[in-house]
Amino acid sequence: MKKSIAALALGLVSLAARADNVKIGLLAPITGSWASEGQEMKKNVELLVDEVNAKGGVAGKQVQLVIEDDGGDPRTASLAAQRLATQGVVAVVGTYGSAVTEATQNIFDEAGIVQVANGSTAVRLTEKGLKNFLRTCPRDDEQGRVGAALLEKMGAKKIALLHDSSAYSKGLADEINALLKAKKMNVVFFDALTPKEQDYSAILTRLKAAGPDVVFFTGYYPEAGLLLKQKKQMGWKVPFIGGDAINNPDLVKIAGKEAAEGFLFLSPPVPKDLDTPEAKAYVASYQKKYGEAPQSIYGVLAGDGFRVVAASIQATGSTTSGEKIRAGLGALKDFPGFTGKIAFNAKGDRIGELYRVYKVDANGNFVLQK
Amino acid sequence: MDQLLEQLTNGLAVGSIYALIALGYTMVYGVLKLINFAHGDLFTYGAYLGLTLLTSLLAHDRMGLGLRLLLLAVMVMGLVAVIGVVVERAAYRPLRDSPRLSAVVSALGASIFLQNALMLLYGARYQVYPDVLPQNAVRLGDLSIPVVRIAVVAVSVVMMTVLYLFVQKTRIGTAIRAAAIDQGAARLMGIDVNKVVVLVFVIGPALGGAAGLLVGLYYGQIGFTMGWTYGMKAFTAAILGGIGNIPGAMVGGLLLGVIEALGAAYLSVAWKDALAFAVLILILIVRPSGLLGERVAEKV
Repeated sequence: MKKSIAALALGLVSLAARADNVKIGLLAPITGSWASEGQEMKKNVELLVDEVNAKGGVAGKQVQLVIEDDGGDPRTASLAAQRLATQGVVAVVGTYGSAVTEATQNIFDEAGIVQVANGSTAVRLTEKGLKNFLRTCPRDDEQGRVGAALLEKMGAKKIALLHDSSAYSKGLADEINALLKAKKMNVVFFDALTPKEQDYSAILTRLKAAGPDVVFFTGYYPEAGLLLKQKKQMGWKVPFIGGDAINNPDLVKIAGKEAAEGFLFLSPPVPKDLDTPEAKAYVASYQKKYGEAPQSIYGVLAGDGFRVVAASIQATGSTTSGEKIRAGLGALKDFPGFTGKIAFNAKGDRIGELYRVYKVDANGNFVLQK
Repeated sequence: MDQLLEQLTNGLAVGSIYALIALGYTMVYGVLKLINFAHGDLFTYGAYLGLTLLTSLLAHDRMGLGLRLLLLAVMVMGLVAVIGVVVERAAYRPLRDSPRLSAVVSALGASIFLQNALMLLYGARYQVYPDVLPQNAVRLGDLSIPVVRIAVVAVSVVMMTVLYLFVQKTRIGTAIRAAAIDQGAARLMGIDVNKVVVLVFVIGPALGGAAGLLVGLYYGQIGFTMGWTYGMKAFTAAILGGIGNIPGAMVGGLLLGVIEALGAAYLSVAWKDALAFAVLILILIVRPSGLLGERVAEKV
């Protein structure tokens, strides 16, 4: 009997201690095929939470980070989102893939939880009129515009578009296709590959038969790396362009330096090209803690997501109301994010041009094209 | 025409890998009537162990490249076989007399365990093999076939032939076949069925591990989830050829690879998997036991 009273008392004490915290969720693909992105998201946000807590927390309270793994899979993600919603988080950072984020949007919206996605660029996510959804990454229609402009600038006459059927990849390919059609440019190939396979020679053979001057692949870096490598093995020299999901240094490791050289891709600036003083200091502290610089821009964008949420809680003083935090986020002007100035429009999209064009040089470095 | 020939070689290269993995599914099914869902992960282990060992073997430049690769293959096959036997001992043998569903669930559990253990050991990033194989290609008219691709097909065919002869012509092979037909009767004939099962879990995973190594050496990129995709395809190939039937797995694997490549060439790249599975369904409607499978009366 005594023991159980003691346990109860202990429980009450720890409950009281917890009530002083503000809980912020992180939804990330810690496992699954995007696990490398997810684990960087976790590293970035954990580092920033520690920094904020060391400085006394937000609105006088310590931040407690609640991490859930979405496995890069919509079904797992909806369960993870429900778990987060029942744990009393006021805001959630994440997640990465658009299809995965889409599976969680309504769950958070109904629970009145603010969600700040970091890598989900599909256009429709912010076109649904969901009040509590925002994102720190740009949208695919902006990326589509930059991509179509690049193709036009290159003077391509016959263009091949290849996607991987995912919400992001197909969305971007459709976006570019529509823009090219509007400009009366000739799209000779539009089709999808199956992601996570190893052998894309059948697709490359088919592509080659269509005879394009340039191939735009809107998928992810593992497939892009293999495509480049196998294209070189075939002895085919057509230039390849990619979207922002290809921005990962592992691309060069997979393809090999020779095969990757000359590859162009669109992306928000990579971590090493972040030039604000805040970003430089941050990259240095990340390096100090983890022994390597951040590799993925989406991890840094998750970090920015956490920082805007923390700033909004600090500014509004509200640690419980999703509505107030959302209003606080909407009121941010020129917030000094690591990835540039951050402000959101009414839809929850980030304002401002973020996309740049990168080229892989002979040493496998990603060089910003001015 | 050129595209047709090129697509055929593309299909045969992928198909021979499917076939090697399919052998592991089909042998285990033949003897235990169990679908070893962990088999795809054993294939992944082959690729990862291959990378680890290759890195240290490359440091020994006193041996020729061919000898080193041979040594590498033997080590990888041996290690993956050990893992296969451990999986059998830990996850399947305790459930040998339970309903079949329990063993299937246990197989799925073993698969999840193996996959996540690999992620924790090596990290979630894709790993990349160093380029060790020659990059040159053989020219046949307009067609250029990388030498490595020919080697992949040749190595697979040799391994499959050796296995076929082993099962058909040796005493131990006869014991495997006997255990596959009727375990009880095989036991009465003095065959140690447990030994046969262990042997099946040595051969199947060893071939799966070899396939993993081939994929690593040839394609270069390996990831801890790759066993799932290859496993599904190989499992399909095993059913296509007739599960439980060794030549069936070989035929099924090669056929699946070729159908996929031709589907990508003449239908739509996005529809190639749909086409491959449609063919599977058609074949199963016409021949429910697969192309080379025998119609066996269900024991009551």
